[in-house]
Amino acid sequence: MTAQSIREAAARDPGITRRLRALLASRTGAALPLIAPAQSLVLSLLVIPGLYVMWLSLQESTFGMSPHFVGLANYTHVLGDAYFWRALLNTMIIVVVVVHVELLLGLGLALLFASGLPAKRWLLAAILAPYAVSEVSAAVIWRFMFDAQAGPANLALQALGLPALEWSINPNHGLALVSLLSVWLNLPFTFMILYAARLSIPGELYEAAKVDGATPPQCFRRITLPLLMPAILLAMLFRYIFVFRIFSEVWLVTGGGPARQTEVVGVYLYQEAFTFNAFGGASASGWIMLLISLLLGAGYMVALRRQSLGNAR
Amino acid sequence: MRAKSIKSIGWDALKALVVVVVLCWSLAPIVFMVTSSVKPGQDIFAVPPHWSFAPTVQHYVALWAKWQAFFHGLINSLIVTVGATVLVIVASTMAGFAYSRSRTPFLRRSATFLIVVRLLPPIVVTLPLFGAANAVGLNDTHLILILLYATFFVSLGTILMRTFIDQIPYELDEAAMVDGANRATILWTIIRPLAKQGMLAVSVFVIVYAWNEFLFAFIFTSTRAKTAPLVISEMMGSLDGVDWGVLFAASTVQLLPILLFVMLMQKHLVAGLTGGAVKG
Repeated sequence: MTAQSIREAAARDPGITRRLRALLASRTGAALPLIAPAQSLVLSLLVIPGLYVMWLSLQESTFGMSPHFVGLANYTHVLGDAYFWRALLNTMIIVVVVVHVELLLGLGLALLFASGLPAKRWLLAAILAPYAVSEVSAAVIWRFMFDAQAGPANLALQALGLPALEWSINPNHGLALVSLLSVWLNLPFTFMILYAARLSIPGELYEAAKVDGATPPQCFRRITLPLLMPAILLAMLFRYIFVFRIFSEVWLVTGGGPARQTEVVGVYLYQEAFTFNAFGGASASGWIMLLISLLLGAGYMVALRRQSLGNAR
Repeated sequence: MRAKSIKSIGWDALKALVVVVVLCWSLAPIVFMVTSSVKPGQDIFAVPPHWSFAPTVQHYVALWAKWQAFFHGLINSLIVTVGATVLVIVASTMAGFAYSRSRTPFLRRSATFLIVVRLLPPIVVTLPLFGAANAVGLNDTHLILILLYATFFVSLGTILMRTFIDQIPYELDEAAMVDGANRATILWTIIRPLAKQGMLAVSVFVIVYAWNEFLFAFIFTSTRAKTAPLVISEMMGSLDGVDWGVLFAASTVQLLPILLFVMLMQKHLVAGLTGGAVKG
């Protein structure tokens, strides 16, 4: 029933709105027990703790001490801490590098696969393999690959006359290794989203374009790219949000060192809370992290809405 | 014609080259890890790398002798993975069924809410949860990890299940209702068997996540419920120097079952990422 026909029916019979409302309420009521397990997990372990962190961020507290209200002092402390800004900058660098490299490689791979390859199933399996690797094993592997003495990747770099990656000494090299590891771990996911989107473009479009004499670059610019844009945008925002919370990769590869120079916001928060026992500062940085995530998420929602509008058209 | 065929040969050669590079990028690190786990100790750090060596199981023997904690970790990982997967499947199928069949404004908002809360970074909620779990004696238990892993996948699980259940014709529900079936009966006798594809897709994501997860295990477990990835991270940071051979052996044991699983379930993984729309 469309909104208009409901309105017309309501004009004929005033009681219908009341009955419709009762019907909706009874349907909602019947559905409540079914959504209860999922919603209570999310409420008790995500929403309530999230709100509690806001309260904590306005208190000064540590183990074995009752918290007392300090207003925005924790926020001024965090925002005045050079380590926090360094961590935020590092996070931004990693997010920008990782997400965009992933998208470019993922897009290239998706187009390569769509153009037809032999033994596609096996190649696909090979591309997906890093998806099964844990962050810990990935850290083991990549630390070994770039080991200062015998790392095969470092040896290969030197053989090509390039400088080796001194990731345990040089903070920039540390960030580079973390980014490399993140791209390696998450490329399968980004690739699959883009490849699925590419597969859903109907082949007839390309046939029609061919009949009209379009060249491959024209096909890419006029058909592939615009039709892939929604998926690219979604994958990008999705990855922005998830790379922004990076913790394990950094913690396991550099531990935030040397001299806290490769910390990211997640690691900064962990150090505040569990190394320095400063729950107030940790909570404040947590809420700053949450706010930035919400901003990114708002972009995600706008893109989602725009995409569904585009589909409706 | 001839020029064209030369061009197409060149194109094929370029493609082949790219495929080789991609395969190296994707697989070489894993191959290095697995082969190094069966290399004799002195060969692991040989410069240049030794390609031929006498394979040995010495590192696996050492792993068994020195790191019993790792094998306890594997059992803990298994318990936590199974628990989280069952919980996510049950909760997501129920919620996905509700959201698919009853579309009232309230329910639509509650489905959006389920997605929006996933914006909360996991590390932020560890702060209050650490104290709370301590207070109720849940720290270092399998249950806290099961609950946390399920919480962080129930949103995606519900949305996926809704998409899959949407594809089951509503007429089947109606026919059952005429026969006097209630919602629970419909969910169990009609939806459950027909939504198996969706449940498999959801379970692949949860299993890979729970088997490999590090952050929550790192913060919430210390001895009894310690998972395999956490034990590996301790080996990496052990004070008396890293024993790379043992580390590779442990990483290989942790990786191979899940890698095999992902390869076998590839079809369902693709179905999950595309909401069942494209058959991979």
